[in-house]
Amino acid sequence: MGAYSMPDPLKTKLKQLIVTTLKLEDVKPEDLADDEPLIGSGLNLDSIDALELVVTLEKEFGLKIKSSEESREALASVAHLAEFIRARADPARLPG
Amino acid sequence: MPGQRAHSREYLTVLHGRAPRWSEVFRHFWAFEEFLMLRFRVARGVPHRGELAADAGGFRQLLATGEPALLGTFHFGHSDLTGFLLGRQEHRRVYMIRQRVGNSHDTEILGAEFAEWVSFIWVNEAENLLFALKDAIDAGGSVALKCDRLEFSAKTEAFNFLGARRLFPFTIYHLALIFRRPVVLCVGRPAGPGLSTVHSSPLFVPDAAGKAANLARAREHFQEFLTRLEAMLRAEPELWFNFLPLNPVAP
Repeated sequence: MGAYSMPDPLKTKLKQLIVTTLKLEDVKPEDLADDEPLIGSGLNLDSIDALELVVTLEKEFGLKIKSSEESREALASVAHLAEFIRARADPARLPG
Repeated sequence: MPGQRAHSREYLTVLHGRAPRWSEVFRHFWAFEEFLMLRFRVARGVPHRGELAADAGGFRQLLATGEPALLGTFHFGHSDLTGFLLGRQEHRRVYMIRQRVGNSHDTEILGAEFAEWVSFIWVNEAENLLFALKDAIDAGGSVALKCDRLEFSAKTEAFNFLGARRLFPFTIYHLALIFRRPVVLCVGRPAGPGLSTVHSSPLFVPDAAGKAANLARAREHFQEFLTRLEAMLRAEPELWFNFLPLNPVAP
């Protein structure tokens, strides 16, 4: 029997947030791969979309993204974003 | 200057529906030169006031609430001074988004004169632009953006202007929705020595309706003001201080 890994609840929540915040049509949260680049990829997000996402993430997780370097690092992919949030967010706001 | 002369002729041709007369091109450049001189005088501390015109209801409402806002302006008449006058006359912290160009020296002198109230965010330092903007808004300041040039604008949309559907920056409304800030579009018009009158749109306030509904309302808001701006240009063609190619026709 093959190993089965439970989906990471934070990554699942992030994918939902990305789709709902940016009103991505024709994209379902489960369509987003963990390692897919969020900016400049098939999602076609621009700098305003990135800003909107940053503001939403700050509110949702009680953290502060201070510069474009930090945001680039955080928004590199869903996996990076999850790692970034785990390291900085108020633990009480993390799902699971 | 040949480039600017060509763009002036292009604009005047579109506005008048015929080739401009030499005197019309001259008046266009003369009006701009007078405005540059006014900026230097104001930067040296010569008193200059902005007064709200009767149709500046949105601006008046904004001043009454004391709420920070996003101010959309255009390269028209004395519009460049409205942010400075708002800062000093109304004691508001205003962040202006400007493009740093070879002759930005006069802007910096003007900024030094108004330093207590006005700060610049340089648009061509694109790396941190959006975060500088976010910090300015988080700090409770009003932010002034030009809404007629496409460079550096992440979001553009087509509007009726000077006989065609032309592309304009639309970022200001996206920022309004992200930060829940009102938008007022305004222009300043020369009104005699030491005075500019400020004309404005009504206040656009993002509401609880969805993004699509808010953006639809924003499009109407912007178009309405563009139509007024065009009427002002038809009355005073020389006040269009945008010596660049006209906004491109939408594909």
